[in-house]
Amino acid sequence: MSSTIEVRGLVKTFGSARALDGLDLEVAPGEVHGFLGPNGAGKSTTIRVLLGLLRSNGGAASVFGLDPWRDATDIHRRLAYVPGDVSVWPNLSGGETIDLLLRMRDLDPRSTRRDDLLERFELDPTKKGRAYSKGNRQKVALVAAFAAPTDLLILDEPTSGLDPLMEQVFNECLAEHKAAGTTVLLSSHILSEVERLADRVTIIRSGRTVESGSLEELRHLRRNRVRAEVSGPVPDLAGLDGVHDVTVDGRVVSASVDPSGLPPLLSALHHAGVVSLTSSPPTLEELFLDAYRSTP
Amino acid sequence: MSDRLRGTGLLLRFALRRDRILLPAWVLVLTATVVASAAATGPLYATTAERVAAAEALNASPAIVALYGPILDTSSLGELSMTKMTVLYAVFVAFMSVVLVRRHTRVEEETGRAELVGATAVGVDAPLVAALAEAVLASVVLGVLVAVGNIASGLPATGSVLFGASWTGIGLVGAGITVLAAQLSSSARTVGFVASGAIGVLYLLRAIGDTSAGWLSWLTPFGWGTQLSAWSEPRAWLLVAYPLLAGALTAVGVALRRRRDLGAGLLPDRAGPAEGAPRLRDALALVWRQQGAALAGWTVGIGVIGVLMGSIVPNIGDLLDTETTRPIIEAMGGVGGLQDALVFALASVIAVVITCFGISAVTRAAGDEHDGRTEIVLATATSRAGLLVAVSSAAILGSTWLLLVSGTATAIGWGRGLGAVGAALAQAPAVWVVLGVALLLLSVRSRWAVAGWAVLAAFVTLGQVGAGLELPGWVLCLSPFHHVPKYPSEAFDWRPELLLTVLAAALVSVAWWRYRARDIG
Repeated sequence: MSSTIEVRGLVKTFGSARALDGLDLEVAPGEVHGFLGPNGAGKSTTIRVLLGLLRSNGGAASVFGLDPWRDATDIHRRLAYVPGDVSVWPNLSGGETIDLLLRMRDLDPRSTRRDDLLERFELDPTKKGRAYSKGNRQKVALVAAFAAPTDLLILDEPTSGLDPLMEQVFNECLAEHKAAGTTVLLSSHILSEVERLADRVTIIRSGRTVESGSLEELRHLRRNRVRAEVSGPVPDLAGLDGVHDVTVDGRVVSASVDPSGLPPLLSALHHAGVVSLTSSPPTLEELFLDAYRSTP
Repeated sequence: MSDRLRGTGLLLRFALRRDRILLPAWVLVLTATVVASAAATGPLYATTAERVAAAEALNASPAIVALYGPILDTSSLGELSMTKMTVLYAVFVAFMSVVLVRRHTRVEEETGRAELVGATAVGVDAPLVAALAEAVLASVVLGVLVAVGNIASGLPATGSVLFGASWTGIGLVGAGITVLAAQLSSSARTVGFVASGAIGVLYLLRAIGDTSAGWLSWLTPFGWGTQLSAWSEPRAWLLVAYPLLAGALTAVGVALRRRRDLGAGLLPDRAGPAEGAPRLRDALALVWRQQGAALAGWTVGIGVIGVLMGSIVPNIGDLLDTETTRPIIEAMGGVGGLQDALVFALASVIAVVITCFGISAVTRAAGDEHDGRTEIVLATATSRAGLLVAVSSAAILGSTWLLLVSGTATAIGWGRGLGAVGAALAQAPAVWVVLGVALLLLSVRSRWAVAGWAVLAAFVTLGQVGAGLELPGWVLCLSPFHHVPKYPSEAFDWRPELLLTVLAAALVSVAWWRYRARDIG
């Protein structure tokens, strides 16, 4: 089955600035794909190209196998989008805005779950747009996006204005759509959010893809953190290949270990009389920071 | 106390920097209008007898008195020269203050920028006081320039200074009204409507006072401009009334400001419907929903102005009955021809005002794009074509509707039929061309859309002063308004109208072609 989103070598320049510089991204049908990067990495620019709002200067992009620039409205009928910084019409009420956005996607608001979602997000739909806080404006866009089944959700830092309780509601809604087979592109710089929800992630920096794969794959490439307590004298681990950042605290030794460093490390610990051993996979945060350290 | 004002100087300089184009342009255009009027009136009415005749003719028409106020001393050259300036153009002085104060107070609060500033070591009252200071400064500079300009044009010094002071005064009152209005609503748009509405009511009170109940004119600052009697036996003490009123309005405004939260308004935000009406289903409905209230307000305003203007027309013959003008009138085909010429002139002025509605519809679309609302619309099944058609229809159809309203209203005021309607609609192709340019600017880059105002201002300036400056003919031809047939005083000519319409269509087409191909946001 072909990818829902496929981006190859995408380039977008604004004047002399290269916002996207050969970016690759692939999102398979039905997966939740985390799209990670620091501010200014090009996440929103990529999304705007995928929505046909910006015209790329090079490379290829397709959504549902269609051209985002040429076939924009055909693509848009099958997706819902929540921007990172939601702006609503100051003189329309939240309810009017939600219904308008739904109707603009050829949906009938009355046959959607908007009322249920309004309740879950605790959003007052009678308030005028100008009276909403950032979080409430975001809820307006989220209710409109989640109210009906759709093939693709494009969410650009969707929880940046939500409190933890509302984040929980957001997670539930996303899980429901995922269960229904919706493909999700979730851009974020909040790692725990992506770690909890995403099947696969793409990490970008300065308009380029740094890493892409499932969390397991990425972890596999990375160092485990090993902590061991020994009964005998603490062995000198620093000399072993693939073992890094060794620290010793009494009889407790900890180190970061490449997959290739595990056999010699375990052998050394075995000889030192290991009493306890924990090995933890790298957190996404470590992957993230690692990805940035390794690329100039 | 000084703590509350901390940073006022810095904010004032910042405001002046942000307004470095808007403010000088506004002041200079008003000054130029006054000087042009002062310089032109003297030669037109060479003798005292002619001046008296003209002034009496003006006073004889209730419509003119309603519009300009009466002339108290019919023999005064200064008062005759400043007929339009004393009351009618003073409205634009008040609007200058409305724009300045609103821009630096409520707009800043609505956009959240005031919060950013408020969180720094800037005093609570500093933003309001800085905005006020800017408006006061602008009013004083305008008053001084106008006084100097009038003296330079040969008007008496005392009268010139008093007249300048009255304009400064009206500027102060405009600022006071806006300071108060800015406390009422959390919406900058509503604040603009309230302040403009208050100015409109004060102007209307004076119109009623000047035409029927004299005492009413003393109650409104627009009446003071006339009653000051700047040019003969002045009541200089009346000048104190302006700062007193402005001070009182400001004091109430500041007191209210201290009682409310940043960003909040004293009028509660009315709740809206929990569900969208089925009509509100696409970009077209959205744009018309956004423009609907404004268009209704404009329809009423243009209708009232049209009836007033139309009712001046029958009096025009007496007004211009002087030794100098009589041959001109004869050449134009007698009084009937003169009336027709006036109808054309009025239609061309109202057309410019109506063009402002269309341009504001276009710049509103630019604002939507800047704020990110266009993005969420275009991320739905709405096509770019659909959105541009919606914006164009609001600008073009809305303006055309207003032209029809103005023509019909003028015809009603005049009491004669189709001439006025034809004169108004004859302006439509020129209006479409200006809006075509504005749409093209929007379609090249959304930030360029505001330049539509500059384009309109340039065309108007060409029309108003171009001939006087003896600019070459081709420069005057740049303005689409220049090509509108002078119907009903001349026969209606289809050719320029057709060419303008084709040009407007071409501009909109190019706009559409550009809009399809450019980045959004």
